[in-house]
Amino acid sequence: MVTGKAQIQQLVRQLFKLSLVDGRISSEQVAGILGYVEKHHPVNAVTILTAYQRVIATEVAKGIAVVEHSGPVSAAALASIATSLSARYQRPVITQTKATPALFAGIRVRIGDDLFESSVAGQLAALSASA
Amino acid sequence: MFSSLLAEITPAVEHATAAAHQAGAEGGGLVHDLVTKFGIDAKNVGMQLFSFSILAFVLYKFAIKPVLATMEQRNAKIEAGLANAQATAARLAEAQAEIAAQLKAAQINANSVIDEARKTAKELSEREAAASTERTAAQLAKAQQSIELEHKKMLAEARSEIARLVIATTEQVLAKKLTEADRAAYNEAAARELTSV
Repeated sequence: MVTGKAQIQQLVRQLFKLSLVDGRISSEQVAGILGYVEKHHPVNAVTILTAYQRVIATEVAKGIAVVEHSGPVSAAALASIATSLSARYQRPVITQTKATPALFAGIRVRIGDDLFESSVAGQLAALSASA
Repeated sequence: MFSSLLAEITPAVEHATAAAHQAGAEGGGLVHDLVTKFGIDAKNVGMQLFSFSILAFVLYKFAIKPVLATMEQRNAKIEAGLANAQATAARLAEAQAEIAAQLKAAQINANSVIDEARKTAKELSEREAAASTERTAAQLAKAQQSIELEHKKMLAEARSEIARLVIATTEQVLAKKLTEADRAAYNEAAARELTSV
């Protein structure tokens, strides 16, 4: 019976390890884990699933780079960004584009907790902060 | 005294008698007539002189002498009173001199106290003035420091406000003037910059 918070966290970490195949999240593994939970209905199933969803989302977010941009961005530029980030984080990274007119021009890349930016708005903000 | 008076009178009477006898002897019966007519008798005169002498002695003994003694006592008292008065006057003068000396000493002491009080008051006043000057200088320095800080703060606020206005203006200009081509070129450059990091 899993009731304590520490025990739930430990179980979630074990489930997360089971979800990885070659260091990547496997959809089949995740489906199997969800089926197991659905079948056996462990105590605090909702809490366990919520924590599991959070760690899976965090891990998935580590492989997705959100590219905010103002103005057109070529596919080649996005591909080069994905390649560069994959090499940097040693895992496959895909890009998701998001139009942000507030940037005026340039790109802001957010992956996990990291942020990379080269935009007119960023430079103006830096100039405003230094004034 | 009575004996001295008797001694003085007796020779005079005897001299008068002798003179009368001598005048009678010389002048004849004139003196004798006078003595006879007036009833002058040497024996009576002697007795009267004797009784007068007794009276004089008694008067002297019981009247004149006590009166003289009383007068001497009064004189002595008067002299003693005068001496006392003189001594009192001397003591009074001495006391007045002592009082004058004490007054002079008191005056000197009072002057000394007054001088000391003035000196103390002057020192206190100077100390207060120095402290007041120091407080004023400190307040002035504090006010100047506050003014400088306020000035710097105002300059910083003005600089920040100017920068904000410049940036806002720049943003408005860029939003209007940047074309899609400009943005695409900038994005390409940004992608190259990010991939090179």
